Amino acid sequence: MGRGPRGVYVHVPFCLHKCHYCDFYSIAGDGDGGRRDRRGVFVQRLIEEIRASSAFLGPPIETTFFGGGTPTLLPSGLWKILLAALSDHQPRAADHELTVEANPETVDEPLMEALVAGGVNRLSIGAQSFDPRHLKTLERRHDPARVVRSVQIARRGGIANINIDLIFGIPGQTLEQWLEDLQEVLALEPTHLSCYALSYESNTPLTAKLRAGRIKRIDQDLEARMYEVVIDRLAAAGFEHYEISSWARPGRRCRHNLRYWRNDQWWPLGPAAAGHVAGVRWKNVPHLGRYLREGPLPAITDVERLDEDGRIGEELMLRLRLIEGIECGLLQRLLAAGVRGRERGVAIMRHTDAGNLERSSDRLRLTRRGLLVADSVLADLL
Amino acid sequence: MPIRNFSIIAHIDHGKSTLADRLLQLTRAVSDRESREQLLDTMDLERERGITIKASAVTVHHVYRGDDYQLNFIDTPGHVDFAYEVSRALTACEGALLVVDATQGVEAQTVANAYLAVENNLELIPVINKIDLPSARPEEVAGEIEQVLGLPAEECMYCSAKTGQGVGELLDEICRKLPPPRPPQTDETRALIFDSRYDDYRGVIVYVRVFDGSLAVGDRIRMMGTGRQYTISELGRYTPAPERLQKLGQAEVGYFVASIRALPDVRVGDTVTGASNPAHEPLPGYREPKQIVFSDFYPASTSDVTGKRGGYDSLRNAIEKLRLNDASFSFDPIHSDALGFGFRCGFLGLLHMEIIQQRLEREGGVQIVQTAPTVSYEIQLTDGTVREIHNPADLPDPALIQAIREPLVMLELICPTEAIGDLMKLCDGRRGVYKTQKFISASRRILEYELPLAEIIYDFHDKLKSITRGYGTMDYEIRGFRPDRLVKVDILVNGVPVEALSLICHRDNAVKRSRTIIKKLKQQIDRHQFEIPLQAAIGSKIICRETIKALRKNVTAKCYGGDVTRKRKLLEKQKAGKKRMKMVGSVNIPQEAFMAVLEMGK
Ligand SMILES: Nc1nc2c(ncn2[C@@H]2O[C@H](COP(=O)(O)OP(=O)(O)OP(=O)(O)O)[C@@H](O)[C@H]2O)c(=O)[nH]1
Ligand code: SF4
Ligand SMILES: [Mg+2]
Repeated sequence: MGRGPRGVYVHVPFCLHKCHYCDFYSIAGDGDGGRRDRRGVFVQRLIEEIRASSAFLGPPIETTFFGGGTPTLLPSGLWKILLAALSDHQPRAADHELTVEANPETVDEPLMEALVAGGVNRLSIGAQSFDPRHLKTLERRHDPARVVRSVQIARRGGIANINIDLIFGIPGQTLEQWLEDLQEVLALEPTHLSCYALSYESNTPLTAKLRAGRIKRIDQDLEARMYEVVIDRLAAAGFEHYEISSWARPGRRCRHNLRYWRNDQWWPLGPAAAGHVAGVRWKNVPHLGRYLREGPLPAITDVERLDEDGRIGEELMLRLRLIEGIECGLLQRLLAAGVRGRERGVAIMRHTDAGNLERSSDRLRLTRRGLLVADSVLADLL
Repeated sequence: MPIRNFSIIAHIDHGKSTLADRLLQLTRAVSDRESREQLLDTMDLERERGITIKASAVTVHHVYRGDDYQLNFIDTPGHVDFAYEVSRALTACEGALLVVDATQGVEAQTVANAYLAVENNLELIPVINKIDLPSARPEEVAGEIEQVLGLPAEECMYCSAKTGQGVGELLDEICRKLPPPRPPQTDETRALIFDSRYDDYRGVIVYVRVFDGSLAVGDRIRMMGTGRQYTISELGRYTPAPERLQKLGQAEVGYFVASIRALPDVRVGDTVTGASNPAHEPLPGYREPKQIVFSDFYPASTSDVTGKRGGYDSLRNAIEKLRLNDASFSFDPIHSDALGFGFRCGFLGLLHMEIIQQRLEREGGVQIVQTAPTVSYEIQLTDGTVREIHNPADLPDPALIQAIREPLVMLELICPTEAIGDLMKLCDGRRGVYKTQKFISASRRILEYELPLAEIIYDFHDKLKSITRGYGTMDYEIRGFRPDRLVKVDILVNGVPVEALSLICHRDNAVKRSRTIIKKLKQQIDRHQFEIPLQAAIGSKIICRETIKALRKNVTAKCYGGDVTRKRKLLEKQKAGKKRMKMVGSVNIPQEAFMAVLEMGK
């Protein structure tokens, strides 16, 4: 077996239209079948990149994640070619997890057939909300009914492992409305749920509206309540809360995402995709034009190799996002190695006293209270 | 040669400097080509703002009825804060041109400066200026001058400093009407210092008016007040270009240089006499103005709040350098727990403060963070002693205080008649005591109130302007100190008093003032993991309270592969921000919070 990364992230930079809260790299208008459609050349170029990078990976590959953008904007024909090339050049482990992010309005039977045929076994559907008013605030252009249909199509097509993304804390949203969203989503019986508090990223129309006073951020206490109710509601429904914003049925945790939080390695493909290999983080240049012109490996940017102490801080920051927390043996090793070990030790004690962290048997983890203020805790451990 | 010494005085913007330019031009001291607007205003800031800050003296010649007259005149600033410059100038003169804008009429500083001149026994020539303007109403304004100042309307001169119309006649009138300098009263030399400035190469340049005897290059002189002795190395006058002389005779005005190293070595108002043959009595002096408004200046660079270096040093250099040129403000180093090292500066008024701050920033290249201005207070202690403080934090233990006295001013407002009601309401609301009302013309009145200085240093002027749609003007004069129900209000964060935020105010205003402060503070302090009470207290009595709720949620929802670096940097920033904050009672208060509360105007 190779020593290269066993995870692959593929970024598909097309969207039908830009949602107002989104700061992902994607282009609206180049993936809609119009004159400027660049999906075909993109897939060709991606295959070239897959080929050129295969030597660095695994083998075998254990997890692959297609994100975006809207990967499901690629037509089924292109998916077939792409997935075939991927399996040719990247040998897969037997229990390979292959996730594709999907927007409800783009899911149909032929697509699903192509995906499943190509080895896709997990679908992640961006529902965000079931309330048209809140979808409007987010400028998400889908009909909530499409979410239900997407789930049906996926399941009938043979995908059992389905994640649904939801957003809470949308301006104007009430606690009751949020509970209704949860009710609706549970009725769809997903195996995995990602529930995010809405965040206002810089350079998004939503943030501009906030600054201009055209929308109002919801009250912090209400947002905290919303987070608490989702924790309780999903626990009652039999989901395991395993990361700050992630819940899964037993055995259905997203193994690809776990890589991120366990500070594991993965390889990036496509423009704007970020990677982490051998202690180095980098990002492919977020520019479709350049990506198409240059190659076979794309130009990279934001290259970062932290010193040991920095890496330790980062690992603590990531691992403590997991509800399981961090195993004490590992924690001891991390605290012993960094120059800020003592400082971190003191901070851990302080937050333990304050009830934000707890030690249970052999792990240190955030308490329920600590989960709500995780950033304040994690900042002290960096 | 006959001599006339006079000043040009007026309300701000009525055209003193422009008239001075015309006088220079008509007497051919400057050719048309050289003439630029407001020639005597040389400071950058003066040109930019179009206002005169420092007085300046020049000498020109005019032939009247066959005689060549030497005219020495001083252009002065018109703003109330620079009244001390006017007072200095007047001590050197026998007469003054009282310039009044023909469109504006008599204004607050017209009256104030006219009275100053009368107190100094000066002969006044009322000059109605800007008659070229279509909206000019010269006869009406002449009526106002007669009504308010008692100067006969028919004695008014009419001119346009802009077009030069009437300026020739004015020059004749100056020679005719203004009295000649008084004859010498002693054999010994006596010259009055009415100004001084600093030159990098020559040291202090001293401006004098010779009253008795004369000064010559090489003379050994003595300053009667300080007792210091010097030798005159250079003598001259401005025409307006500097012109060197060997001798400055009886009644003349000019400057001398005598290797004087620092401005504080020279006292404006002091008398210069011969070292070997000193006069027995100095000339009637001139009282230096007292700083009445105080504000703390801190370097704006907050990169290093713990140490003194960097911003503080540049600020100190800038202040010391400006001080060489301008002794009108005071400064003392201070340290505040909240804001680090800075200076408590004293000013003659709000505009004065603003000008000094801008000069420091501009000429000294420093960025200044400035706290809200306060007045000085006299503290009467139970042991009978009196202490003056400029900072609420310096207040002694309340048990030792018998009374707190605050500066009281006599305020004179000149305003349109219809604004009287609203202005009285404004003054009454500011603890004002109505004194009197005077008639200027059918449409304008003078309103007099006595009220605490503290009540007018904030936004009074803005309020006046808005009530009178820009037509109202004000002048005030300190009338001493008066005790009132003044209290010290402490601001407590999480139960701990924050010295830098405490204030002195009237008991009746305490709740309102502290509520504003606490509200601002609340916006600036982040939620903590615990609830934070913000309180204002007089002694142990809490007068208002707000609560910053405990932090309920602070967690980044998404942290996937591409977010790791950004997220880490964000948290690092959060952490670094916290380090730069000031810890008070386990609460982190950002510097901006202090600024928001202390900063003026908001
Ligand atoms: N039309 C007209 N404008 C004038 C006349 N005299 C002065 N001004 C204008 O009035 C404004 C103020 O003139 P200044 O000479 O700066 O007034 P000042 O009295 O020296 O002002 P301070 O020194 O700031 O008190 C300037 O814009 C002048 O150009 C005049 O006779 N006619
Ligand atoms: S579909 Fe997803 S990637 Fe595209 S704009 Fe909306 S949120 Fe962003
Ligand atoms: Mg002027």
